[in-house]
Amino acid sequence: MTVALPSVLFVDDEERILRSLRMLFRGRCEILTTTSGREAIDWVRQRPVHVVVSDQRMPGVSGVEVLRAVAEHSPATMRVLLTGYADMDAVTASVNEGEIYRFVEKPWNGPYLLDVVDQAARVAVRDFAAAAERAEAARRAPIVAAPPVAALAIAARVVVLDEAAAIAAQVRELLPDAVHVDHARDLEGALELLAEHDVAVVVAHLSSAVGDVADALKQLKRLRPATLAIVISPLRDSRLVIGLINEGQIFRFLLQPPVRELLRRGLIAALERHAELRTSANLLRRHEVEAARAEPATMPGRLLNYWRRIREAATARIG
Amino acid sequence: MTQALPARATAPIATAAAASGDIRPLLLATAPVAPETSVLDVAQLFLETRHAGLLSLPVVAQRTPIGTISRYELMRIFLMPYGRELYGRRPITALMNAEPLVLAQTTPIEEAARAIATHIKSPITDDFVLVDDAGDYAGTGLVLDVLRAVEDRLAERGAELERAYARVKSSQLQLVQSEKMASLGQMVAGLVHEINTPLGYVRNNVEMTRGALGEATRLVAAQEAVIAALTGESEPGADIEGHLAEIEQLRTSIDSAALEDLCGLLDDTVHGVGQIGDLVVNLKDFSRLDQAGMQKADINKLVESALKIVQHLLRKREVVVVNEPGELPDVECAPAQINQVLLNLLSNAIQAIEHDRGRIVVRTQALDRRVLVLVEDNGKGIAAENLARIFDPFFTTKPIGQGTGMGLAISHQIVEQHGGVIRATSKPGVGTRFLVVLPVAARGAPQ
Repeated sequence: MTVALPSVLFVDDEERILRSLRMLFRGRCEILTTTSGREAIDWVRQRPVHVVVSDQRMPGVSGVEVLRAVAEHSPATMRVLLTGYADMDAVTASVNEGEIYRFVEKPWNGPYLLDVVDQAARVAVRDFAAAAERAEAARRAPIVAAPPVAALAIAARVVVLDEAAAIAAQVRELLPDAVHVDHARDLEGALELLAEHDVAVVVAHLSSAVGDVADALKQLKRLRPATLAIVISPLRDSRLVIGLINEGQIFRFLLQPPVRELLRRGLIAALERHAELRTSANLLRRHEVEAARAEPATMPGRLLNYWRRIREAATARIG
Repeated sequence: MTQALPARATAPIATAAAASGDIRPLLLATAPVAPETSVLDVAQLFLETRHAGLLSLPVVAQRTPIGTISRYELMRIFLMPYGRELYGRRPITALMNAEPLVLAQTTPIEEAARAIATHIKSPITDDFVLVDDAGDYAGTGLVLDVLRAVEDRLAERGAELERAYARVKSSQLQLVQSEKMASLGQMVAGLVHEINTPLGYVRNNVEMTRGALGEATRLVAAQEAVIAALTGESEPGADIEGHLAEIEQLRTSIDSAALEDLCGLLDDTVHGVGQIGDLVVNLKDFSRLDQAGMQKADINKLVESALKIVQHLLRKREVVVVNEPGELPDVECAPAQINQVLLNLLSNAIQAIEHDRGRIVVRTQALDRRVLVLVEDNGKGIAAENLARIFDPFFTTKPIGQGTGMGLAISHQIVEQHGGVIRATSKPGVGTRFLVVLPVAARGAPQ
């Protein structure tokens, strides 16, 4: 039995980039290329595309716009941004609007890019298959309805990690009363909550690009793939956000002070996504993260203990 | 006037006045003269030390000031033949100035100074009278004290102005610097993208070529071994099978089509490296890091390099540029500064275009001993009420954080320093046209 190769669509306004990528991926996947963002969107609407790798700065439609449209028309398609310049606006938009899988910078490292696209393709192939199965099941037994997502979301738990109380108060006010909102003033408190409960969303205030909280956010996804992170930070640091996307698969990055409506929408979307993730093991793979470069080395021993507990709980749950 | 004056605070008068703002601190509690007092008695009063600093004494009836009698008037009378005898016994009301300057003690210093200037004649013969809120006599004041207070206040204001000026100047310098940094940052962002794109495929192509060359080397080695065996140069050993298998396997990835593809990628690579080189040369030309001050420059070349620098912005917005260089004499100028002006006009033009039929015309032309540069866009235009203000420092219609409002102000300053002019005309919804006129020979070296 021959297995059909996953299809990967590359979008870049520079033909030479496309030629180069075509060569790099030769034989590994079905390669589609276009210099037009609009054409890329049309393609995704017309045929299954497993992975879209798009440039950011293009005439007409930006990469983030392409990926947002792709997410809308074909949510199972994995999205990667490949860009020559990571300006802060593009980076935050790519996570908040494009919900991208990876942010890769030009000039790229060949083996790394191959690996990223490979992983993305594997997840997408499974997702497309699962979606087809669901459609088939629905055709056979159309009466069985999935549990309403909203109902699941309401019983969820949100942890706000922030030294101050303002964000926690705002989160409490924005969410329905049924959602349990805990406020942890330090990482230790947050980890304790994470070790003991099934937490849907962590809202973390990040005041420093280095240190425990950034490290913990990167580790979190590996141990609790169903927990979604919303990061609120005053730091306009694109490198930090790229790290949080690629190593921590954060769900949203909001500049402090967060725009109320953006925070509200982010929270609701995160709760819904968590509910979906809990019902679908496969979706979790979407949130696979790169091994954060370092183990939480900066973490004091007592915090490591929490990590171990979370890890054990996670293995028990999966096993 | 060095004598001790009674009932006045010993603190520096002017400072106190300056602080409170009215003339109360200047008040002297001069004992008033009753209307019926004789001229001789008043003359006697003037001889008293406590009145030594006074030009006049107030005449007060039932607490209301009705006049002042001046030392000057008494001297005039006493100098007249028989003056003392004729007037000495008469009441002072006969000689007093019945229209003295009366001021409320709450009058501000400046207003008092104005009143004094209009009321008092030269030579100054009288002091002025101060009354309280009810109009009752409160004391007298010296013209000289008012002058001193005014002078002190002026000095104070002058120092304040100087401080404010220094503050404005330093913050303007900061703004000029931050405008430079902002346009530099924007330029760097564009350049980084422009360089990383070719760098992306150049690196990838070189890596892939290196990989392919490794395979090709192994293939050639295996083929050589087989050929050597076939031509009898060496004994065909047992490894001939291995070589053949290797050739068979490598041939699937290294065939002539693949090598042709690689050649194509190397052509791209040469192109990309050339592009990066061009960008670097342009950047160097543009910043003129190695050239300082005034020199003869070809404005058309400056326009060309400015257009290259904004290339990424143009592509991003699908804007068409029509460059119509005219025949120009070289212009004596500071090229880095003229570059800044051109970059500013071009990026403004690009930002003004919000539709997809964007078109920017850049035209140069020589006229007499001047060079004209025209930058015209078909963007959203500038409203008439804003057009007059576009060269004002800090004026911007861009959202907070996107424009310092200094770009055109600095451009204006640069062009003026070159002895040139910059003008704008605009029609909202149609477009904007900027005209820069530079003299061919510089008037004076800017900066």
